[in-house]
Amino acid sequence: MKKINHFYSLTPDWQEQLVQEIKGELIDDKIIVIPETLGKGHSYFTPIAEGISALFVDFVLAEPVEINRLKSETESYIFHFDLSDSVNFIKIDTVDYKIGSRENPGLAIIDNQTESSFKPSFHERTLALRLLVDKKLLNELLETNSIEEYHNEKNKYQGKSLYYYDHIDSNSILLIRSLMDKSVFDVSFDSYLKGISLKLLGNFLNRYENLSVKKNEITQTELEAVIKTQDYFLKDLCSPFPTINFLSEMAGMSSTKYKILFKKHFNDTPKKVFLNEKMLLAKKLLQSGNYHTLIEIVYELSYAKMNHFHSKYYAVFQRKPSQDFVKRPFKKGSPVLLKV
Amino acid sequence: MKIIEHSYCADLSWTEPLAKQLKGKIDGNFIVVPEEVQSGTRYFLECEEGIVAYYINVKYYKNLHFIQKNTKDDFIGFYYDLTDGEARLVTNTAICDLGRWKYNLAVIDGSLKTNYQVKSGSHTYALCIFIQKNKLAAFIKDDTVLFSDLQQITDPKKNTIIKFDRISNESFHILNDLRKLKVGGPVFDLNLKATVHMLMSNYLKKIARNRTIIQTIRETDIKNIIAMQMFLIENIEGPFPSISLMAKKIEMSESKFKNLFKKITGLTPNSFFMDNKLALAKELLEDKQLTISQIANRLHYSNNSHFTLNFKEHFGISPKNFIKQL
Repeated sequence: MKKINHFYSLTPDWQEQLVQEIKGELIDDKIIVIPETLGKGHSYFTPIAEGISALFVDFVLAEPVEINRLKSETESYIFHFDLSDSVNFIKIDTVDYKIGSRENPGLAIIDNQTESSFKPSFHERTLALRLLVDKKLLNELLETNSIEEYHNEKNKYQGKSLYYYDHIDSNSILLIRSLMDKSVFDVSFDSYLKGISLKLLGNFLNRYENLSVKKNEITQTELEAVIKTQDYFLKDLCSPFPTINFLSEMAGMSSTKYKILFKKHFNDTPKKVFLNEKMLLAKKLLQSGNYHTLIEIVYELSYAKMNHFHSKYYAVFQRKPSQDFVKRPFKKGSPVLLKV
Repeated sequence: MKIIEHSYCADLSWTEPLAKQLKGKIDGNFIVVPEEVQSGTRYFLECEEGIVAYYINVKYYKNLHFIQKNTKDDFIGFYYDLTDGEARLVTNTAICDLGRWKYNLAVIDGSLKTNYQVKSGSHTYALCIFIQKNKLAAFIKDDTVLFSDLQQITDPKKNTIIKFDRISNESFHILNDLRKLKVGGPVFDLNLKATVHMLMSNYLKKIARNRTIIQTIRETDIKNIIAMQMFLIENIEGPFPSISLMAKKIEMSESKFKNLFKKITGLTPNSFFMDNKLALAKELLEDKQLTISQIANRLHYSNNSHFTLNFKEHFGISPKNFIKQL
């Protein structure tokens, strides 16, 4: 296996050494054309802004090559977006990590100060975009916590070397793929690549900042349906709880899905929401002073047994119903009493 | 009508006076303007030295008249203007209506005085990019290709330039993507810078192809073709209306229609239609409100697999994979 050594810096001058080693051709301090003996393709390097540079590689290798990236003094992170046709390997500290493939493109973040080697598969198209971002700059951009903390959270069991792996989000994939159709020799490629790179970084930050934020996965129509069922059973608190089956049918979804969605939105199960409301109503009735006996209320709320109601009431308020009960005051000449 | 006199330039010295004129103030990178004049956002950012982006997404409640008198003339302004409503740009030589379906890109030399009138009730979404002339020259020299057109722009001895144009479909989608983002914060800044780069890239590409033929086409023909573009966008959810139908609508022969459409928009009617349809599909998928089959139905695909195929062909990944990684 052929070995190639190189290092990165945020400025274009690192390319000369690499070009000499692989006997390639350097155009305009940006494009490296890979010699025929090694394969076919090119790389494109451009500094974008202070502290950010991009390297776009697109080649098909004719023989297996190990591209060894040496330690460098520049304090930066390498974002490696891999959209190659087949799986490539990145080796850090003798551990091989799989990365990328067309079906399952991946993103790796590597520290520039640790050594790593990249082993692209040969006879297959390798397409990758590498962003070099200055450490200080990235930490400024990340408002909350630094990337090391994030890394620690994500991969607790792996070695000490910084290696963070993630899937690329769809919009970023589309962005990188749009680079495929463009020719690096085109006039507009330079600014296009810059634009894409900045957007990728933006997407990454966005994703990373919002990791902890729970995404609202309930669609509008489903939510409306769930709220409709809740309105339905809260309207008729005196009757028994309509079954989950009935409610889920009403919302037009399976009972499991209904239960999950309901719990997600209201933080409680339908039955519990129903019971809570029912007990609040019960309390109101108890304190209203319109009833002579407890049993009247129990029947009003369609409980068959006094005990049952008692236990439910106690579970909610930690008080006995009789403690809250206000009896209907005796009134002279009341027609009800006369009958009795 | 309220008259506002202000200036632009390729650094940030213009922001303070403009805010004062609008009776607002500067807050960070925002220009905050009182509600009675407008609602919405004005945001500026210095992308790098000599390049300033100015993002406007506002609704006007008053008729405004902006008079731009610049103190410096060392820059070129690119105004991408997607106004819904009435907006008009007047220079001493030309009057031009701006908006989504009119001219929506103006390239104007900083030394010119312009009048920009906007009616109450208009909703303006615009991105202005101010670039120093020597910076723009560097853009071109970098690429070692000579463009007669751009050379003229950057040569100070030549006449000052003003040019109205229409943005390409691709640029429109880039701008639309930017519009969806929440303004402010590092993520937005990165995206704004990215947008500036990509728009410049598209503009360079356009000039490289030298598509200035447009000026030689009759004004009524351009209007008709744009009317048909609007017609296609209005019917974007339905099936493709046939070429013959559209040609008949604007009383052109089919071949003339096809030719002109391609010349003006850079795309054939069908690919323009499909581009926008799939962009809409992508937006719907991002919203996560509808399932793939619902979307396929809504966009009048006869079946899911046809939709999936189309989507995959256009974007390179299938709709399912797309939503999986959102």
